[in-house]
Amino acid sequence: MAEDQNASDLELVRKIKGGDDQAFREMVERYHARVYSLSYGVLHNAEDAEEATQDAFLTLYRKIDTFDESRKFFSWFYRVALNAAYSRARRRRPGVTVPIDDFVPRLKGGDGQGSPEFAAWVDGIEDETISRELAQRAEDFIQELPPAYRDVIWMVDVEEMKPADVAETLEISLAALKSRLHRARLAVRERLAEVASARNPAGAAEGERRAAP
Amino acid sequence: MSHDEFSCRQIILESLVEYEDGSMPETERMRLEAHLSHCPPCVVFIKSYRATGRTLRMLKPKDIPCNLAEAVMNFVRERCKKSS
Repeated sequence: MAEDQNASDLELVRKIKGGDDQAFREMVERYHARVYSLSYGVLHNAEDAEEATQDAFLTLYRKIDTFDESRKFFSWFYRVALNAAYSRARRRRPGVTVPIDDFVPRLKGGDGQGSPEFAAWVDGIEDETISRELAQRAEDFIQELPPAYRDVIWMVDVEEMKPADVAETLEISLAALKSRLHRARLAVRERLAEVASARNPAGAAEGERRAAP
Repeated sequence: MSHDEFSCRQIILESLVEYEDGSMPETERMRLEAHLSHCPPCVVFIKSYRATGRTLRMLKPKDIPCNLAEAVMNFVRERCKKSS
C-alpha cells in the first residue's frame, strides 16, 4: 500500500484519537468495503460479514489509542478485522478443514523427475461460463483450507492485495507468505482439476495420457 | 536429466511462485524455460495454475451492502452510547 495512503490514514487516526467523529466517518467510508470483503473471505456469508465489519469498526473506535503509529495503519486494522471475523466464526459450528498436504499435487515416482499427474482441464477453465461455475466451487475449497492458508489465498488472489502488505498484516515473513500462498494455490488447483475432469472425462483421459508419457 | 536441469517436482513444488511473480533470477528463469520447452505436462500445469488465479479473482464480493457504512456508524454510536 502506498506511503501517501498511510500518511493520509495516520492523519485520520490522529483526528479520531482527538475525538473527531467526522474523521471516524471518513475512515468508515474509506475502509468499510475492504473490511467487508476480508470478513467475507473468512465467513462466506453476507450477514455474518456485515456484522463482523461492524465489530471491526467498533474495535477501531474503542482501541485506536493502542495503535502504534510506527506501524502501517492498514496492517493493524486488517488484523483487527480478521480477529473480528474469526471471533464470529468461532461462534458458529466449526466447518470441516482438510490438511493442506491432502491436496498437494500427486507426483509420479517420488524420485523428483516424474511428470505431474493432472487432468486436461485448462481449455475448459478458459471458458468464461465454466470459469464462473468453477469459481463457485473454488469458494467451497478455500473454506476447507486451514485458516493460515485460507487467509493468504483470499487476500492475495481474491482481494488482490500486495503480497508484502499481506505478510505485514499477518506478521509473517514474505518467504513464509509465498510458501503458504503457493501451497494454497496448488491445493485449490488440484480440487478444481478434479471438478473439471469430472465434467469432461474424455479431456481428463487425454490429460492423463499426456501427463504420463 | 543432468543436475542443472529443473525437475517437474522442483518446478511445481518450489519454483513456480518466483517464476510467476517475476522474482526469479534471470539465469534460473532461463533454465526453467529450457525445461518447459521440452516438457508439455509442465506447460499445461502452469497454464492451469494461472487459470486457478483467474478463477479466484472472480470470487471478490461485488455486492457490498449499500447501506453498510451507515449501518457501521449507527452500530458504533449505539454501542458507545450504551457503554458510556
